[in-house]
Amino acid sequence: MNKRIIIAAIALVAGASSLMAQSRKAVRLNEVMVENTSSIVDDYGEHRGWIELFNSNFAPIEISSMYLSNDSTNPKMYPVPLGDVNTRIAKRQHVVFFTDGEPEKGTFHTNFVLTPGVENWVGLYDADGSLIDAITVPAAVLADQTYARATDGNGEWAVRSGHGDNYITPSSANVIKDKNNRVEMFAERDENGFGMTIMAMCVVFSALLVLCLCFYAIGAIGKNLSRSNKIKSMGDDHTDPEVRAATGHDSGEEIAAIVMALHEHFNAHDEENTILTINKVKRAYSPWSSKIYGLREVPQHHRR
Amino acid sequence: MSFGDFLLNNLRQFWELTGFANAEIGNFVMLAVGLFFIWLAIKKNFEPMLLVPIGFGILIGNVPFNTGAGLEVGIYEEGSVLNILYNGVSAGWYPPLIFLGIGAMTDFSALIANPKLMLIGAAAQFGIFGAYMVALLLGFAPDQAGAIAIIGGADGPTAIFLSSKLAPNLMGAIAVSAYSYMALVPVIQPPIMRLFTTKKERLIRMKPARAVSQNEKIIFPIVGMLLTCFVVPSGLPLLGMLFFGNLLRECGVTTRLAKTASNALTDIVTILLGLTVGASTQASQFLTPQTIFIFFLGFMAFIIASSSGVLFVKLFNLVLPKDKKINPLIGNAGVSAVPMSARISNNLGLEYDPSNYLLMHAMGPNVAGVIGSAVAAGVLLGFLV
Repeated sequence: MNKRIIIAAIALVAGASSLMAQSRKAVRLNEVMVENTSSIVDDYGEHRGWIELFNSNFAPIEISSMYLSNDSTNPKMYPVPLGDVNTRIAKRQHVVFFTDGEPEKGTFHTNFVLTPGVENWVGLYDADGSLIDAITVPAAVLADQTYARATDGNGEWAVRSGHGDNYITPSSANVIKDKNNRVEMFAERDENGFGMTIMAMCVVFSALLVLCLCFYAIGAIGKNLSRSNKIKSMGDDHTDPEVRAATGHDSGEEIAAIVMALHEHFNAHDEENTILTINKVKRAYSPWSSKIYGLREVPQHHRR
Repeated sequence: MSFGDFLLNNLRQFWELTGFANAEIGNFVMLAVGLFFIWLAIKKNFEPMLLVPIGFGILIGNVPFNTGAGLEVGIYEEGSVLNILYNGVSAGWYPPLIFLGIGAMTDFSALIANPKLMLIGAAAQFGIFGAYMVALLLGFAPDQAGAIAIIGGADGPTAIFLSSKLAPNLMGAIAVSAYSYMALVPVIQPPIMRLFTTKKERLIRMKPARAVSQNEKIIFPIVGMLLTCFVVPSGLPLLGMLFFGNLLRECGVTTRLAKTASNALTDIVTILLGLTVGASTQASQFLTPQTIFIFFLGFMAFIIASSSGVLFVKLFNLVLPKDKKINPLIGNAGVSAVPMSARISNNLGLEYDPSNYLLMHAMGPNVAGVIGSAVAAGVLLGFLV
């Protein structure tokens, strides 16, 4: 018994830790600015380079004790401090770290600096030192330009200049959506809804058709199994085809009819050894469940 | 300020907080609607389990009060008790709990014994997409049209779940419309069933369903969940809970859990769901031209769904051997108003042949309709979110 409990506990702990690890793997490097002269300022009013992280999960993720680094040989360069409520990234949200080399300024100030004009490698590591995400920012990224993913947590990395559609988006989505593209697409391409109807009904029919076929198959297998079990239970002598065929016709109705016919014919009745006793079920009285105390009597009208 | 002025000022302020001072004509209209629902439930016995909580919820939601006073009592005021209870509707977690109960109280034997009846449940979903097309014609955006059209699935929890995702602003009207028409199934469906069937067809006798083994009953929820959710993962909350509830019922070792899911839990969630859905129909949010369109579309969806179920059976009979014909009166049961629409099939069948019991046959498409509408909701969610 104890052994079982221990195994279950180990499985539970292993499952929980793998879940945690799995969720932290969903944090992504999302956008990097190496040199900042006119973009956002930090809490001290200074322009600093920055790294944006994105939680691609649909649940919050705690990033404290993870590591940021600009040196692949030193994964534990900057540990995200413990005990700051802001290190919990809400679902599908972002957080920005300023790369100013001044960690004493607060949680979101790294102890390393990104260098303009050269390639900058940035890595994000889990608490156990395993690499979660990494990117090399090209040397060609100029001041006030960023190197960013096409969409949040996904897509190709590209240089963003901040002009036109190439916008720079610290702490917000890399693609600004002002409409639901899918809804727009259906409104544009499927004005009367025929497309949706055809596609959706095909899916509904396919799902239920597959289920239907599956249960025909399961039903057939079940029937064969029960038939072969019956043949086995009747012994090895009953293996001729006629007996096998007969065992397939034993529906409840048929059995009931045969039994009734035998009963009528022989006027037979089994002598039973079993004694059937019906015990009176007593329920202890309790005022808590008594309706007398729960219900009020209906007032009677007395006419003179 | 004299003592008299002091009393008058305070009484005036109190008066301004009362419902009488804040009442608008819309509140009285909605109060009348709430009373009508309660009357329907008590006097006419139309789905009382749903209409009493919804009707009383409408009364609660339409007691006028001064919204500027910061009383935090309204259902749309964050932090109010009603708002907290409404979270189950707005965040969509009441419907899966109801589906857990439905799964725990539903016997899928009829469907397992005669799997082809599942296709009737699929055909009835035409009601959803017929209404979707009409909603687009009336100028609704595709996501709103999808949320409204799901009324045709005749499945209140599914309608609430989908509308909370696709069109939260229309959820109150959609939920009330769905539950109203579900209550009116005995009125809406019989004329359609008579219209599309001949007397000869109504007399068709179906073979009794074969006995289903315990193993098949256990395999059904597992395979059913895996297959349907692999096809439509967005239906996971509803289908997952439906089949889970059914496994609790059929596995034979979790009787207590199945009982709780099908009785106490379902009752609790039904009370909270009905009450909060009713309370969400505040006159200012509910009495709009859109609501009238939604009720009209809901009615259409029900008619299309019932008709398509019946017509599909007639079509299906063309390819079935003579001894395996299906009585088209069970076609209406493809909508998932369980077990009301199956009972209607049975009652109408008995009307034409007093010894032709269709209830068990109709339960097949009826529960297939539950699965079908959840799959359809998953498809709409997958396409439009």
